[in-house]
Amino acid sequence: MAQGGSVIRILFFGPVAERISKRETLMEFAPGMQLREAVAALRVTHPQAFDIVCFTAVNQVQIKDMSLPLNDGDEIAFMAKFSGG
Amino acid sequence: MQEAVRLQTEDFSVDAELAALRASSKRIGGIATFVGCARDFSEGRDVLRIDFDAYPAMAVAELQRLRNEAIEKYGLLDARIVHRIGSVVAGDNIVLIVTGAEHRAPALNACHWLIDELKQCVPIWKKETTPEGESWVTPHP
Repeated sequence: MAQGGSVIRILFFGPVAERISKRETLMEFAPGMQLREAVAALRVTHPQAFDIVCFTAVNQVQIKDMSLPLNDGDEIAFMAKFSGG
Repeated sequence: MQEAVRLQTEDFSVDAELAALRASSKRIGGIATFVGCARDFSEGRDVLRIDFDAYPAMAVAELQRLRNEAIEKYGLLDARIVHRIGSVVAGDNIVLIVTGAEHRAPALNACHWLIDELKQCVPIWKKETTPEGESWVTPHP
């Protein structure tokens, strides 16, 4: 994994993080990359996480459009259903 | 004065939050509060501890968005939301919502709306520790 180059930061929380024993990883960024490509790659490397992922956020904003273009340095979070309160 | 919307590991003071809300406007005629607290029993099991995880940057942004929306939607004069993260035990406070308006109806309705929306929209997760082990909580309606 490139360090200090063009990367996207991937975050996992709560039950998703526990399931894969990981809270963060980095993914190489490629110009023209869309959210669906990042998700597809992560589904291969972390398949068990996506059994319970219900929400995806890019830079702290929930995103449903998987064609969203990504940018170098973006932060993507994969989250299970919320249970605060 | 502390921020009107925040996550924190330490307990909060309901009195301090009420005082902060009241200090924001002398036009407030009705204040509603919701305090969510930790139970010692859930889904047929004793609960020994509850641990909260959160996506802090997004959670605070969502709480601020909900506060702004509630102020606009219900004509509130002020609102404050505090949610704890980290570990709590039975009887501890978890979340506080305080809403102030000129009259009781918008304050009460906004308070109810805010806790419902918080549960749907704010990235916080709770894990219960019971004598049988640990489990992440399935969202309640």
